[in-house]
Amino acid sequence: MEIVHVKQLKKSYGTNKVLRGIDFTAQAGEIIGVIGKNGAGKSTFLEILMTLKTYDEGNVFVFDKEVRSLSTHQLEGIRKQISVVLQPTQFYKSLKVVELLKLFKAYYKSSVNIEKIIADFKLEPYRKTYFNKLSGGWKQIVSLAIAFLSEPKMLILDEPTTGLDPHMRNILWAYITKYNKRTGGTVILTTHNMDEVELYCDKVMLLNDGVGETFDTTKRILDSGYKSIHDFYLSKVSM
Amino acid sequence: MLVNQLKYDLLLFSRELFYLIFTIIVPPATYLFMGTLYGDFTYAGGLNYAETYTPSFILLITFGVVFFAFGFDQVMNRTIGVEKRISITPVPKKTLLLSNILKSIIITSFGYFLVFFIGMIVHDLSFVPLNFVASFGFFMLLNAALLIISSAIYSLFTSVNAALVFSIVIFQIGMISGGFAMPVDMMPAFVQTIADFNPLYHMNQLFIAVWNGQFIVDNQSLLSIGYILGCVTISLLLLRFVYKVKK
Ligand SMILES: Nc1ncnc2c1ncn2[C@@H]1O[C@H](COP(=O)(O)OP(=O)(O)OP(=O)(O)O)[C@@H](O)[C@H]1O
Ligand SMILES: [Mg+2]
Repeated sequence: MEIVHVKQLKKSYGTNKVLRGIDFTAQAGEIIGVIGKNGAGKSTFLEILMTLKTYDEGNVFVFDKEVRSLSTHQLEGIRKQISVVLQPTQFYKSLKVVELLKLFKAYYKSSVNIEKIIADFKLEPYRKTYFNKLSGGWKQIVSLAIAFLSEPKMLILDEPTTGLDPHMRNILWAYITKYNKRTGGTVILTTHNMDEVELYCDKVMLLNDGVGETFDTTKRILDSGYKSIHDFYLSKVSM
Repeated sequence: MLVNQLKYDLLLFSRELFYLIFTIIVPPATYLFMGTLYGDFTYAGGLNYAETYTPSFILLITFGVVFFAFGFDQVMNRTIGVEKRISITPVPKKTLLLSNILKSIIITSFGYFLVFFIGMIVHDLSFVPLNFVASFGFFMLLNAALLIISSAIYSLFTSVNAALVFSIVIFQIGMISGGFAMPVDMMPAFVQTIADFNPLYHMNQLFIAVWNGQFIVDNQSLLSIGYILGCVTISLLLLRFVYKVKK
């Protein structure tokens, strides 16, 4: 089943043509890594899929609906099915961690148990800490915990592991793969860590010069002669 | 959902010392302090201190709340990215706006009762039910007008620092030329000129009149009402324009 379908997507900021015709699809249950250099347009692309940004040309279908043509009410319905991590994320700074979790649980009208999320993401020592008093990495973990508060059909994560220590990275990836296996949810993410892509992603899209230069399974890319995704990236993308 | 959001909005307000100071700390304290200095004076229309300044300070609190905790707060959430994060949750924008408006009304009403209560204790202000209803009703109208004007002004800001400096300056100007510190006719001519263009000054004059049952339809009051309505209309047009540009 197709969850996302993107055809010839174009987006500029003024004269800066960031996306110049992207074709992309995501099937239910896939984990897809979007890679590319800084400023390639990864966040822009993801934020369009999240229904956060508008686009200039092309089509973007999310859950079989063209995003551009949706009413406010329909958009709210779609947003309920998507969980996100933004780059960088900000929340109300003077709310405590547990209050943020409760607030977002209410936004998604979710039945997920907050105590379980707190335990899973090792947030117990920080439950009464104000968001702006957390370290950068813990802010990121709260943001991830909030993404898993609802049981979304799709997760869109913009550099979810940036700022996390190796243990938290592992916890996060275990969580993502478990979510993916258990619910069949789709995951689209960006990262600058090519090992993560190689280990966990079914498919890779390489954004270069505003187009999806390569969009293929991780396996086929490796089979075509690259030692690693890292090698693939270095040989495809120039400085 | 609305009740839940409102609970958090009020919680956030109560944790922001800066908002508390400019809304429910400084104005009531000033009201008390000035009362000890000028408690026996007689003001325009033969009114005493409490009759003149009780409505004024209620209005000043309202101004503080609507400009800081409502308008400035929106700029802050917009610039640090909270608004963006919230905007991709399924919560309807209408709920957020409504909650924010209710928050302001609840806090300003709290300010209303706080100042009224201080006035009753310190200045023997009496409770006249009919007057009270009229005053509170008029207060709600002023509240609505200020909310619209504040939304329009703050929709133009894209930086917290600019909005902060603006808020503090406008609070000073609003306070001095609005007649909250000293009667405007005792001020230098240029302040009186600013006052004529300050919607708060007109609101203050009208509110004092309504509060004391002295409101009459004359040139002066019509001018004040007209000016406030003009400001509200311009604000509404501006809001529509900004909304269209964003789309
Ligand atoms: N709101 C905006 N207004 C104007 N230009 C923008 C805006 N957001 C992004 N850009 C520009 O669009 C281009 C792509 O930015 P984007 O954030 O999508 O890149 P990215 O691939 O996510 O980069 P990174 O790996 O550094 O996160 C950049 O040139 C950036 O300057
Ligand atoms: Mg990015």
